[in-house]
Amino acid sequence: MSAGPYNYSYIFKYIIIGDMGVGKSCLLHQFTEKKFMADCPHTIGVEFGTRIIEVSGQKIKLQIWDTAGQERFRAVTRSYYRGAAGALMVYDITRRSTYNHLSSWLTDTRNLTNPSTVIFLIGNKCDLDAQRDVTYEEAKQFADENGLMFVEASAKTGENVEEAFLETAKKIYQSIQDGRLDLNAAESGVQHKPSQPGRNTLVNDQQVNKDTCAC
Amino acid sequence: MSSRMPPQLISDLAIERVLPVDADFGCEIESDIRDEDGVVVYVNISSHKLKLLFEMVPGMKTNNFVGEIFRAEVLRKRRRPPPEFQWLHKYASGAGSTHNSGSSCPGMDNAVGDSMERGVDGLTIQDESIADTLLGSPEISVPRQSIAKGATPIAAREIVIKYQMAMREQHYTYTQALRVYVGTWNVNGQPPTVGISEWLAQDPDPPDIYAIGFQELDLSKEAFLFNDTPREEEWQEAVLNGLHKKARYHKVALVRLVGMMLLVFVQEQHAAYVRAVATETVGTGIMGKMGNKGGVGVRFELHSTSLCFVNSHLAAHVEEYERRNQDYHDICSRMSFTRFLPPKGINDHDQVYWLGDLNYRITDLDPRLVKDYIDQGNYLPLLEYDQLCQQHSLKNVYAGYQEGNITFRPTYKYDPGSDNWDSSEKNRVPAWCDRVLWKGDGITQVAYRSHPKLRISDHKPVSSLFDSQIRVIDAAKYRKIHEEVMKKLDKLENEFLPQVMVDNTEVIFDTIRYLESQTRDLIIANTGQVPVTFEFIKKLDDSSYCKDWLNIEPYSGFIMPGEKCDIKLEVYVDKKSAFKLNSGEDKLYDILVLHLDGGKDIFITVTGTYERSCFGSSIEALVYISVPVREIPLGRLMELENAKEVTSTQDPYPIPKEIWFLVDHLYRHGLKQPHLFEEPGLNSDLLQIRNWLDNGSPDPMPGSIHSVAEALLLLLESTAEPIIPYNLHSVCLDAANNYVQCKQIVMQLPEHRKNVFLYLCAFLQEVLCHASYNGLDTKIIAALFGTIFLRDPPRSRGDLSSQARMNQQALDRKKVNFVYHFLVNDQSDFILGR
Repeated sequence: MSAGPYNYSYIFKYIIIGDMGVGKSCLLHQFTEKKFMADCPHTIGVEFGTRIIEVSGQKIKLQIWDTAGQERFRAVTRSYYRGAAGALMVYDITRRSTYNHLSSWLTDTRNLTNPSTVIFLIGNKCDLDAQRDVTYEEAKQFADENGLMFVEASAKTGENVEEAFLETAKKIYQSIQDGRLDLNAAESGVQHKPSQPGRNTLVNDQQVNKDTCAC
Repeated sequence: MSSRMPPQLISDLAIERVLPVDADFGCEIESDIRDEDGVVVYVNISSHKLKLLFEMVPGMKTNNFVGEIFRAEVLRKRRRPPPEFQWLHKYASGAGSTHNSGSSCPGMDNAVGDSMERGVDGLTIQDESIADTLLGSPEISVPRQSIAKGATPIAAREIVIKYQMAMREQHYTYTQALRVYVGTWNVNGQPPTVGISEWLAQDPDPPDIYAIGFQELDLSKEAFLFNDTPREEEWQEAVLNGLHKKARYHKVALVRLVGMMLLVFVQEQHAAYVRAVATETVGTGIMGKMGNKGGVGVRFELHSTSLCFVNSHLAAHVEEYERRNQDYHDICSRMSFTRFLPPKGINDHDQVYWLGDLNYRITDLDPRLVKDYIDQGNYLPLLEYDQLCQQHSLKNVYAGYQEGNITFRPTYKYDPGSDNWDSSEKNRVPAWCDRVLWKGDGITQVAYRSHPKLRISDHKPVSSLFDSQIRVIDAAKYRKIHEEVMKKLDKLENEFLPQVMVDNTEVIFDTIRYLESQTRDLIIANTGQVPVTFEFIKKLDDSSYCKDWLNIEPYSGFIMPGEKCDIKLEVYVDKKSAFKLNSGEDKLYDILVLHLDGGKDIFITVTGTYERSCFGSSIEALVYISVPVREIPLGRLMELENAKEVTSTQDPYPIPKEIWFLVDHLYRHGLKQPHLFEEPGLNSDLLQIRNWLDNGSPDPMPGSIHSVAEALLLLLESTAEPIIPYNLHSVCLDAANNYVQCKQIVMQLPEHRKNVFLYLCAFLQEVLCHASYNGLDTKIIAALFGTIFLRDPPRSRGDLSSQARMNQQALDRKKVNFVYHFLVNDQSDFILGR
């Protein structure tokens, strides 16, 4: 039996942040279920999703925390930034206010995560081009100025959704390879788990869980 | 197994068998996803040769069961030396035979889990040493808990993927017919002095796979004793030269045991798809294990089909057919490709080709008659007397294998160098010693023949050609289906995350008043497929999971799928939280984080309006309020509470009017009240007194004397700071034995607090003047008011160690002493000094 080719070797923690109604939960749903959730209720809390992806032949388990966007929860959702390896910062291209608030979201992200946390800016709802309120160029410039990765995506059509999640993972994986991201740091947002076949893996996995559940 | 299905009571279950968790014990989870909604967990349990498959529905019971078993295994691995399980002997007789291995128990579901679970529990109780280990190692609870969380074990996931891929094999594979050449030759120890392409390459088209077996490669003692012979190289060379010239070949493996050698080649175009090559040898010769007889095997996977080739040389001599049968069975049972886990046997392959000098003879026929039939080319009558045909049809050997029709002359025994039958003294009867059999689907024999022109041995070589269907993986389709399986599992994993519905995430309370509790109910329903462990958790930087005016009952719990849990939220503002709400430092607003173990968090917002009250207001604020507290504009109280220097057009009262009202009432009506301050008031009275003070009323103050006394104490206790400010707390205690010093400190108190202090002391002296009626004692009053005037700073009471308790007693004595001075000495100079 070959050594567990379906095991994942890393766990990356992601957070999705941004104003209320920009489509954070829909992006998560599109990514994990490949479906558009038409009547998505407002997230009251923090939703949780997972998917295993492959980057450079490595299986990586993404643990995605989708946060409530309502302003009144802002103080509480700040608790969830800690230990994120990737942050997907979302605005709605048809609502300028959601774009205007980005600097505040960015400040929070910078303050509450590691320097190595990969921040990916997503302009959601790009299927609604007729109602566009923020140009691609403007947002691209904002992203460049702040060193963010950027795409316009649509949780409805699925356009660029996969890409945003995967590119973020690639960047994180690169950071690991380059040694910029220290796996041993407590809040790197990445757990490494050497693959082992059979039941040992189960035990390993539980130890990993045990270590991280001490929060 | 049980008298009632499904079982309801323990008595419905019986102990079927008891398995020791020892070195031969194994347990593996397999998960089989039947369809979208039904997921079944299979648990393979093996003990020695017994294999049991349990089918279970995922859930608590299954989790417990598997958890217990893994726990037992973890313990077992840690133990030295291995346990003896002597207590098991008493079960051994009644445990039944183990012949029904692999018994599947569909539909028994939890019943099986239950009875087994008890079996395992029983084990931990009865084996004391295990019980010791149990108590001694805290880690062992970890696997169990993790499983109980409902998290999908990753090992299970891997198995599920394998299983799912196997289920869909026909969707991503197609079959391709490959030409397989199988040849066998007993070379009687001769070197390859002639070319052998006549044997290997006489067909027009090159085969895709060659499996070429030799026997008696070298009959020398050296070969036998040291398993080392130059013949190996020589014959390999001969084979390489003899392979079909129209194709290029890649050697898959060579395996040799003494004189038995097996070579396997594939055309180069297939080489990249050959995987998991393994070889194995089994000796069944002298002493039942030497390599003069036996078998050698090569197994590999080509694309998605597993192939096994076995070359054997079975026991000789006409009458020894049973030995030959036995050799076959020995090879079958002992040939085990151990690089795999679990090891693979010959039968664990899609296709098996068995070749060799099987040595079966023609018996019970006159040798002359045999030769006559052969000369006539009439083989059918002879085959009736062929031992292999006889034994095969009796299923004594090669059960499940097929052999093609024999249309060639017997291949044994010739005078070497000729086509003449054995002319030696033994004058052996000709026989078809050299045979090829096969087993598996999609195999069609195309040719079965001998090659009589090769005369160097006393045997003629034999070969067989097959068209064999090999399953080839379509890489693109495989990736697509693999992707689908992964996605499905991801989806499943997300579905298996704990899910709940909360009936209300915005809990709104009505107006909340001091000391008046209000409750709201919350229902958490487990709408997911796994048990949920929930807990209200602390937010970042918070010390508790909710504000101190809120109580959540229960704040953590466990809910089974489909069940729900009622949560009671109670808001109660008392002396600990009132001042913060009055001052605006806190609001009746909290966001609770309901955390599901291994899953999401839900925010529950709690809001309410607090009705301000004199309780919880500071003395400094109250002296500036000349009207009932609720009559001043909203915000004015906060302004007063937060102002360092109060600016007011009106002069403040010397002491808060509320204190005066309460004290005056007690002075008028309560001086002679027995047990004044000692007996508690009624809660309903307290609420009325609160309303009377906060709203103002022309009516006389409501409530009993004891209630009024308690209201006074509460008023003093509800302030943010006690009468003696926290910063003077320790100074006062240090000075407690010195009245002069105590007086000096009191002189330095902020004016209104000093007033209140002296006013109350004067009142208390008056109370003590009526000790004959109320039965009060100076010490008691000093103790009571000591804890109020000198309230401990927050958090100093948290330490419950005996040392801390001793300290606390000493401190409390000092408080008594401090207050005592002011109860027994005349304070008129103080009051006049003002």
